[in-house]
Amino acid sequence: MEIFVPAFLNIVDPATLIFMTVGVGAGLLAGSIPGFTIAMAIVLTLPFTFSMPPSQGLATMISVLVGGLSGGLMSGILTGIPGTPSSVATTFDGFPMARNGEPGLALGIGVWSSFCGGIISAVLLVLFAPQLAAVGLEFQPWDFFMLVMFALTVTSSLAGSHLIKGLIAGAAGLLIRTVGEDDAVGVGRFDFGSDYLLTGFDFIAVLIGLFAFSQLLSDLRNPETARKALSDQKQIRVKIEHRRAIAILIKNWFVVIRSALIGMFTGILPGAGGSIANILSYDQAKKAAKNDSNFGKGDPRGIIAPEASNNAVEGGALTPLMALGIPGDITAAIMLGALLMHDIVPGPTFISDEPVLASSIYIAFFLANFIMIGMQSGVLRIFVLVTRIKTYVLATGILTFATIGVFALHNSAEDIWTLFFFGILGFFMRQYGFPLAPMILGVVLGDIAELNLARALAIDADPMLFITRPWSLFFTIIALFSIIFPIYQKQRGTGSMLEKLYSPMMLLALGTPLFMMGGILRTSLAIAAVTIGAYLVWRRSAKQKPTQKNS
Amino acid sequence: MTFNRDSIVALCLIMTSGGLMVASFDIREPDYGVLSPAAWPRLIIIIMGVLGVLYFIQSLRMPKANISAEPPKSLVEFIAYWRNVFSVFIIFAAYLLALPFLGMLIGNIAFSFILLSALGGWRPFVMHVLVAIGTSGGMWLLFTYALEVFLPRGSLTGF
Repeated sequence: MEIFVPAFLNIVDPATLIFMTVGVGAGLLAGSIPGFTIAMAIVLTLPFTFSMPPSQGLATMISVLVGGLSGGLMSGILTGIPGTPSSVATTFDGFPMARNGEPGLALGIGVWSSFCGGIISAVLLVLFAPQLAAVGLEFQPWDFFMLVMFALTVTSSLAGSHLIKGLIAGAAGLLIRTVGEDDAVGVGRFDFGSDYLLTGFDFIAVLIGLFAFSQLLSDLRNPETARKALSDQKQIRVKIEHRRAIAILIKNWFVVIRSALIGMFTGILPGAGGSIANILSYDQAKKAAKNDSNFGKGDPRGIIAPEASNNAVEGGALTPLMALGIPGDITAAIMLGALLMHDIVPGPTFISDEPVLASSIYIAFFLANFIMIGMQSGVLRIFVLVTRIKTYVLATGILTFATIGVFALHNSAEDIWTLFFFGILGFFMRQYGFPLAPMILGVVLGDIAELNLARALAIDADPMLFITRPWSLFFTIIALFSIIFPIYQKQRGTGSMLEKLYSPMMLLALGTPLFMMGGILRTSLAIAAVTIGAYLVWRRSAKQKPTQKNS
Repeated sequence: MTFNRDSIVALCLIMTSGGLMVASFDIREPDYGVLSPAAWPRLIIIIMGVLGVLYFIQSLRMPKANISAEPPKSLVEFIAYWRNVFSVFIIFAAYLLALPFLGMLIGNIAFSFILLSALGGWRPFVMHVLVAIGTSGGMWLLFTYALEVFLPRGSLTGF
């Protein structure tokens, strides 16, 4: 109670509640407009939160996030164009249901599924983050360094066939962070005699440039589409059907929980966000359905699954951020940026060192979901108005806002130049198929990686410790397998050696560090991993033998 | 084997890595501290260089369908394709250069109006003027009075 009461009072402060309401509204709008991403909305919120107390700033950002995750469904259901990549699967059944004359029900199911997904993930966040933080207390600098490397390689591997481009982007992000004065000894790096470079790039200006500016440039690239509005519809008269939607959700409670768990788990994995979770849970809902003939024609389960999972993603992404200081996705990376901006460095001791702030985050996450439910109907009307604004007008307004926002960070026009340079860089990276997520993680985690590298070498100069300590080895193995993952994915269904051995070899390899960690639980896990791995090798080789005999 | 746009990007990356490696030798080595300030950047540069070489090899072996979309061939097509992007670059750069003289309020109104007109044409003149004044003025008021941020005044305009 000592912690909960001040945290609760922080969040129910009238000013915080107003900021949260505005944040949810802005998030809902940003999420509903195709081309304007949630990450862009959050990154543009950063300058506002600079002057706020940390709990208020983070509550505002969480509100934008929750709103954004729920906003994508409006556009997806009413226009058939998903507002965000995390609501792509919602359109598969949401749009057909709306066209069948039930847009209010489709929206109701989407809104309440989002709410349930958000609340389930908030509960899991409260339960799991302290547990994971307890594990994180075992980490030493070697382990943290390898954890950052693992986060970068996993995020890069999600670039699929563009793995090398993903790795290059991650390395470039780390390098960008080295420009300017070295934090440890105060020596200038890559400043080329310029004061501007000596102070280093403000990483928030870098993030806004890379994400928001470059996204706007991409939206404006085609002169024809830039002059068009999203929708020509003058009016959309829809009343959200809450009661019927809740009744359908209660009937399909298992789909809600399963999808939320899929979303939560996907969110914990670095780099894997709502865009993957919504498709994955839709697929699972379809596979698990006794009768899937109605999927794609307006089946309620086809709306419940993606919406419950994409809202649950953020609880998952916040878990490693709060417990270990490692963000689970881009939006969590931006939140990490917000914490760093307030001189708060999240890590395994964050929850115990800053209990009030940590509790404020939990409470804000819960509350934002309730505000979201209350605001959907109102924002729906504004959404219809916004969709009638031409893209170039909207983009110009956002660009002007970004410019003032970046200046407000440090009252420095040099930060606007940073925004400009990184906007151009981000735009060309998008054009050439370089993923931005690894670069953003690199920028945010660069200092943490260097600090832990320096600390590790100060304790012991032996570089072998980076791969011989149990947790370091654990992260090294996952990092290596994540690099091979795109090749494995390409070869799936071909019956190649890699396809057969990828999962068993990973399990066998992970058994080693788990054994090294000791303890009953981890030794049991190690035995289980090795047994399953060996069984898979045996089963797959046994399957291969009759085939060879036949041939 | 085809030399394509990805190959050029890879070569630029390799050259940048080389240039940065050379620049890393200008980083002062202090007598204190365990990890040299140049060590971490050098490690990243080496990784980037190796990845650049791999990217170059991959680009040469890449099937044509996977090569990043080629831009239009003729100059007219090229200008039409990139017109909006270059307009934003030029107008934004001009705005930044003029900012000390015009100040944030007048500079932003001018920037918004010129950008709106460059992207949407000059015909909806009144609408563009109103949008430029409304958005830039509104944000100026919000930041100046609500958030109490001191926005720069222009040496020529005084605003």
